[in-house]
Amino acid sequence: MKITIENLTKQFDNHLAVNNFSAQIESGQLVSLLGPSGCGKSTMLNMLSGILTPSQGKIWFDEDDVTDVAAEKRGVGLVFQNYALYPHMTVLENICFPLEIQRVPKAERIARAKEMAQLVHVEDLLDRLPKQMSGGQQQRVAIARALVKKPRLLLLDEPLSNLDARLRIEMREEIRRIQQSIGITTIFVTHDQEEAMSISDAIILMKQGVLQQMDKPQELYDQPKNCFVADFLGNPTINKLNAVYEGGRLLVEGMPCDIETSSVPASAPLYLSCRVESVLINQKPSSIKGTIIDTYVIGKENIANIQVGNSRVRAYIDSDSALRPTEEVTLSFKNKGVFLFDANSGERYI
Amino acid sequence: MKRWSKISFKRIEPFLYLAPFLIGIIIFTLYPIFNVFFMSFKENYKYLTGEFSGYGFDNFVQILSDPYFIQSLKNTFSYVLIVIPISTCLAIVFAVLLNQNIKLKALFQTAYFLPMVTSVTAVGMAWKFMFNYNSGLINFFLNLLGFEGINWLQIASNNFAALAIFGICNILPFIIILLLSGLQNIDPLYYTAAKVDGANTLTCFFRITLPLLAPTICMVLIVNTISTFKVFNELFPLFNGPGIAYNLFTVVYYIYYQFRGLTPPKYGLAAAAAIILFIIIFCFTMIQLYVQKKYSLEENKS
Repeated sequence: MKITIENLTKQFDNHLAVNNFSAQIESGQLVSLLGPSGCGKSTMLNMLSGILTPSQGKIWFDEDDVTDVAAEKRGVGLVFQNYALYPHMTVLENICFPLEIQRVPKAERIARAKEMAQLVHVEDLLDRLPKQMSGGQQQRVAIARALVKKPRLLLLDEPLSNLDARLRIEMREEIRRIQQSIGITTIFVTHDQEEAMSISDAIILMKQGVLQQMDKPQELYDQPKNCFVADFLGNPTINKLNAVYEGGRLLVEGMPCDIETSSVPASAPLYLSCRVESVLINQKPSSIKGTIIDTYVIGKENIANIQVGNSRVRAYIDSDSALRPTEEVTLSFKNKGVFLFDANSGERYI
Repeated sequence: MKRWSKISFKRIEPFLYLAPFLIGIIIFTLYPIFNVFFMSFKENYKYLTGEFSGYGFDNFVQILSDPYFIQSLKNTFSYVLIVIPISTCLAIVFAVLLNQNIKLKALFQTAYFLPMVTSVTAVGMAWKFMFNYNSGLINFFLNLLGFEGINWLQIASNNFAALAIFGICNILPFIIILLLSGLQNIDPLYYTAAKVDGANTLTCFFRITLPLLAPTICMVLIVNTISTFKVFNELFPLFNGPGIAYNLFTVVYYIYYQFRGLTPPKYGLAAAAAIILFIIIFCFTMIQLYVQKKYSLEENKS
């Protein structure tokens, strides 16, 4: 089912949670709503599910305007962060419950619940109570319960936040598998960029209720529309150098830089943002100089911390590199992964 | 020598802190309990002189053949069987309503809990006015609805109904408070989940609220069964005694009556009645605990 969101706005007392949000989600896709805490992504989700009514704007499911349709009539399945499984019901009863409400005959609802249990791999746990299961198992049951009534849209609200790191990776792959196997349009709310990058067809990045960019995960990383998007995505975070365009050339931390620039306003404060993997050390002649502060190892990666003017830059180095603290180095940049933003508006120039 | 006394003081110290309370309990609770137990078996016991003719079941035989005692048993059982189910059901309804996000919620909560901080006697006096045949509020409303007024207090056969109504309303705030605390422990997310699935209010109540509230309801039942078996205070403001025609004896009132209402007082009979009441309450509590345990065990098994 295709979802169209048109100028959606949600105003709480004196706080604008979602501001003029428009997006289109293609049928059968898994789309992540990504953003820092309080950016309005849960509010978005609650408006899609029908729990909250928007202050303005419209939501379309295919050709139906569902803005004023009650939650139970929208045909959405909802999975909560803490699963919200009914503690007094067994797994089977939990999965059957939505069908029980729809007055599906008992034999049929048990058959359908068992089918769902098989899909999410909890068919051996049907007689357990929620408290007798691990977090991952509870999450699977919650997904089965959301899917059993054959919803048109599956909404997942931070479904992996309560799991430990290893289980989180396992479950996100499971969610992708389940979503693919029934081809349901899915919206996945998360604040974890890695989660969003790894399983989504598209990511919607939000900040303070405003849509920043909607794109494929790799596009979002390679072609950020503004400074916030570039800052938010990527681990380690992107390097940010103060820059200014003066006398027909770009000065980075006061040092001339040979990056091609055009249509950049003169004298305005800028940021030259470059991905950690796009920084080259001592490879090309350049007038940008820095001092090594320290070097460290994370997993298989060796990283150098470099002081450039008033900013710090991180760069990957070879594991056998002879670079030592206090050493002077020359910095240059690859063509890819280097962006120039307006420091005030965040607008991107290159 | 010095070292030894230090160690022994350390050992005694905790008991010193416990002592004041312990002594109080021994004098005012434990000693009377044992005393009552022995007293109930002493035949022809004279309290002032402490004389008695021997141990035996004479007191029990006497009260069990006393029509007033049989009546008190009947009244007490009827009272418990009527007040407990009705008050618990009403309290569940009120607690669920008070737990909703309604306007003036605080005002309603205060209004409902007010009787709890007022003495039974004061509340009872108010009820006495409300029950008044000619000018009482209850009859006023009955008349409004087209029913004939009932002479609650002056006609013996109506006394029990008046007592039960008063008892139910009197116990309600306490149950509501306990149930509200139970309700507030239920995660509101369960209702959101059920609502998205299309559950209506009644389904939510019977499939989510009631099962999750069951442990609290069990606790309420046990505590209140014990307290309603001891119905006594309620009789004074309404009737100044056991009903208008000695028709409303309760077991505790019967005990009180044997102590204070007769000359010379019959302490032995009072003690025997107290022991019988103790056995009844004990049995009921055991049954409830057993049922509760079995219920929760079954829940764990499945």
